[in-house]
Amino acid sequence: MVQVEGLTKLYGEFVAVNELSFVVQPGEVMGLIGPNGAGKTTTLRCLAGIIPSTHGTVRVGGHDILRDPIAAKKQLAFFTDEPRLFDYLTVWQHLNFVARIYQVADYEKTGRELLEELEIANKRDALPGELSRGMKQKLAIACGLLHSPKVIYFDEPLTGLDPLGIRRMKDSILKRAHAGAAIIISSHLLHLVQEICSRLLILKNGLKVVDGTLEAVTRKFSEQPGDANLEEIFFRATSDTGTSPPAVPPPLPH
Amino acid sequence: MPTMIAALIYLQYHSVRNRLVSRFKRLKQPKYLVGAIVGGLYFYFYFFRYLFHGFGGPPAANLVVSPEHRQLFELGGALLLFIIVLLAWMIPHERAALTFTEAEVAFLFPAPITRRTLIHFKLLRSQLRIFFSVLLLTLFSRRFGGNVWIHAFGWWLILSTLNLHLLGSSFVRTLMLDRGISNRLRRLLVFGLALAVAGAVWVWAKRTLPALGPADTANLNATLDYAQRVLTAGPALYLLYPFRLVVRPFFAPDAAAFFAALPPVLLIFLLHYLWVIYSDVAFEEASLEASQKLAARVAAVRAGNWRGVKKNQKARRPWFRLSATGPPATALFWKNLIGVGQVFSVRLWIIIAVVMVIFGFVLAGQAQNHGISMVAAFCVAFALGYSLLLGPQLLRLDFRNDLPLADILKTFPMRGWQIALGEILAPVAVLAAFQWLLLLFGAGLVFCLPVKPEALFLAIACGAAFLLPVLDVLLMLIPNAAVLLFPSWIQTGRDSPRGVEATGQRLIFALGQMLVLLLALLPAAAAFTGIFFLFYFTLGPSVAVPVASLAATLVLAAEAGFGVMLLGKLFERFDVTEGQTS
Repeated sequence: MVQVEGLTKLYGEFVAVNELSFVVQPGEVMGLIGPNGAGKTTTLRCLAGIIPSTHGTVRVGGHDILRDPIAAKKQLAFFTDEPRLFDYLTVWQHLNFVARIYQVADYEKTGRELLEELEIANKRDALPGELSRGMKQKLAIACGLLHSPKVIYFDEPLTGLDPLGIRRMKDSILKRAHAGAAIIISSHLLHLVQEICSRLLILKNGLKVVDGTLEAVTRKFSEQPGDANLEEIFFRATSDTGTSPPAVPPPLPH
Repeated sequence: MPTMIAALIYLQYHSVRNRLVSRFKRLKQPKYLVGAIVGGLYFYFYFFRYLFHGFGGPPAANLVVSPEHRQLFELGGALLLFIIVLLAWMIPHERAALTFTEAEVAFLFPAPITRRTLIHFKLLRSQLRIFFSVLLLTLFSRRFGGNVWIHAFGWWLILSTLNLHLLGSSFVRTLMLDRGISNRLRRLLVFGLALAVAGAVWVWAKRTLPALGPADTANLNATLDYAQRVLTAGPALYLLYPFRLVVRPFFAPDAAAFFAALPPVLLIFLLHYLWVIYSDVAFEEASLEASQKLAARVAAVRAGNWRGVKKNQKARRPWFRLSATGPPATALFWKNLIGVGQVFSVRLWIIIAVVMVIFGFVLAGQAQNHGISMVAAFCVAFALGYSLLLGPQLLRLDFRNDLPLADILKTFPMRGWQIALGEILAPVAVLAAFQWLLLLFGAGLVFCLPVKPEALFLAIACGAAFLLPVLDVLLMLIPNAAVLLFPSWIQTGRDSPRGVEATGQRLIFALGQMLVLLLALLPAAAAFTGIFFLFYFTLGPSVAVPVASLAATLVLAAEAGFGVMLLGKLFERFDVTEGQTS
């Protein structure tokens, strides 16, 4: 569903993303992780057609995002870490607007269902300024899911959500994956990635250092079977020496 | 306490120094360097060269002011100061809140610093703002002559005393609220007091001075003389006296008069300072709230979201029903039209109407024609002219507003030109509708005015109706293209430029936009001229004007279509990261 070949993004002489290639199949959830400045957000922006890549190709549902952007973008949704909304449109007006952009003829039924599912149906006529951070996030999700995208990118999807919101978000991501969507999640929350991702891609300085299924990656980075969790894998894969930082002190006694 | 003050001075000094250093460092970038040069030249030619009289600069307009006129100016200044102080007691409704940044609240409020020290810090910081204001005001007032140092110190005394008074009055307002005196009661009391004082002055003037006749009111000098007599005797004398003392040093003709006027104003300043420092008012909670609001406003403005500053935003009904299928550009048009409703409130339209009517009366008065139709005609002409000039600046519901959301727009399955068209349509539609209304009104006025022949004026209105919408498209395209080409020069990025270099950048932009518009108008003007003369000699001007306008409209429409395609290409190439990291 998402095919990336030799994706490279340069800013002047600075290489933000370097020769990145991977494939995400329908129903797969890929975790995109890496230290700050590794190129995760730049990668996601290139995949969504927000910024053009310098070299390489990105295909979404078989359509090249640069050559055939309309067909490619019709199939995808991109959720940023901060919900980006138009501050003078109400909740329902946002859905109406998005429906026209993506030509969703039966948006009223789908929209109502999404608002119910996300528990913001009672905020239908509210402006974003009247919504809490979590509600704004839900509205952004409702807008993104209105056209039933086949490819979904999440950039730090759990930022600012309360525990219940986090649980619902995880459920929602998995539900879309089970329905056949290809999902890419960029996050620093390794437990989230471990919980819901079936594949892992670790970036460092714009370069792919790890790519594979979670099991395969765990096997590769374990010195003994089962000794490495994702945190250990992350440190071993991204540190210059290939070792973990000193262990966290034990918790204080109660 | 001295240690604390030293720490606060350290904070202030290094904040200002680092800000200046970063400004100088960014001059390495050509866009800031060019802006700084142009801005510097502007400030030099408009203000600073008047300071260098004797070093080759031109002399300031050294107006000779007689003692009577000096007293009149002093009275005017005192009256203005009195009104500002009166409003400061009447209008505000918040509790006293010294404005701190969020970082200052986080660091200073939990620190072992007394409330009085915080006030000193606030006063110290306000001095920076005052010094800057003094500089600008002195540069301005110096153009009319007088001693530069007297002007500077005079302004400093006025602004510093006023600053202390505003702070003190906010403390008293808070104390009154704490003692159960509501804002409404306080306003009633102040208003009643002001009314009583005005009544006393009026009664005194009525009883003591000869009444102003119709001949006097028509004569400016007689009116001013009467006002001077009212304000320099009776109750007004005592009322305005402290205010006159404050402004007197500014109007001093020489150093001796300045120093003679100094002791009373210094005493007033000292009393104000003691009043503020010894007020024991809890301002921390209100300051915390104010700092959060300030941070939200700054964040909104830096993100290019000027409406984020606006309070009490209400949901607006869409101007038309948007179906789910059809050209997607219509969605952006629909969205921006809703936004227009947020920005242009009924109150704003009333203000515009009032200003138009006032200007209409003034212009008609100068034309020695007091007919209401002539006033209205001037209003229409004035509004039409200014709609072209100010419309594209006021109606910013396009890329200038949506650029902070460019990454979202770029995920839409739309071509660049579709997004560009959708973005500029709403402001164009609103502007064109406003202009057509004016034209319709103006066409009606033709029959009420002694202008002949009516057919020609109607033909001009008809031609304008063709031309204006496409002209509006061109006018909107230019700033939108500018914002996509130079996002960091326009106030949409996170670090919108300020200072001399920003002024220079804006000047360059204004000139650039005018040049592009002139170039765009040249082919249309040529088409208009050719067709006009072709028809003028055969069918007369009443036919030639609308036909020539139609031809010019077609040329402009072709240019506008090309412009929209170009704007779309610019948007497709626009790098969202550039807009965020200028």
